[in-house]
Amino acid sequence: MKESLMDVICCPLDKATLELEVDEADDEEVLAGTLTCTECGETYPIEDGIPNLLPPDMREEAAA
Amino acid sequence: MTRGGDERDAGDERGGDLAALRGADDAVVYQPAEDSGLLAEAAVAEAHGRVLEVGTGSGWVAERITEERGLDVVGSDRNPHAARQARERGVEAVVADLLAPFRADAFDAVCFNPPYLPTDPDNEWGDWMEHALSGGESGRELIEPFLDDVGRVLAPDGVVLLLVSSLTGYDEVLDLVDEAGFAAEPVVEESFPFETLTVLALRRA
Repeated sequence: MKESLMDVICCPLDKATLELEVDEADDEEVLAGTLTCTECGETYPIEDGIPNLLPPDMREEAAA
Repeated sequence: MTRGGDERDAGDERGGDLAALRGADDAVVYQPAEDSGLLAEAAVAEAHGRVLEVGTGSGWVAERITEERGLDVVGSDRNPHAARQARERGVEAVVADLLAPFRADAFDAVCFNPPYLPTDPDNEWGDWMEHALSGGESGRELIEPFLDDVGRVLAPDGVVLLLVSSLTGYDEVLDLVDEAGFAAEPVVEESFPFETLTVLALRRA
């Protein structure tokens, strides 16, 4: 994800601002990291350049 | 939209050279078909500013908008396999439940080709392709929450492009659109043997 995505995303639970922590990035994009809600503290992973912003109870749903 | 079979070929032609990109995710990600083509046509004509495609699937529609209009497009899908395919096409991909993680007034255009096939609850088949196709018993189970929330993320002069199938109930969807405070205008329409597909442009009434 590009850092500009931060302008349009928020916590899916309470719509509060997210804080970006970058673990891995290239010139253009964040490839791995964590998004943390500044209000409720819930965390959302960024893996392979894709943030997973599903609420936690939908994240683990196994559909194959 | 179809559960597979011959009609997918038409979509594959539209998808063109992207066949090469398709790997193991194909079986679990909805691939472009007639409905995708219509939504892309409408979106290329009507979208402006910052664009969100909800349920982007393979990312094909989002890619068309980026390539033909040069707009910034975010593609979201609750299926991580779909988000991965969309990213392979160069789409800014997010895994999300409908509009939940998007900010108020963030988008000038929101496109949605919803899962719309009415499905008997006893006949749900329970995999990612079901999430991509089934609109529940009414066919409108995803359209309703989408319309409830889309006004929040849409900028004041924004437009929503919503694909509607006659199988889902055109008049019923128009009623939901009206309840959500939008006026609807058909942008493109095409009839097929089993359904008529329409893309509606919704603007605040």
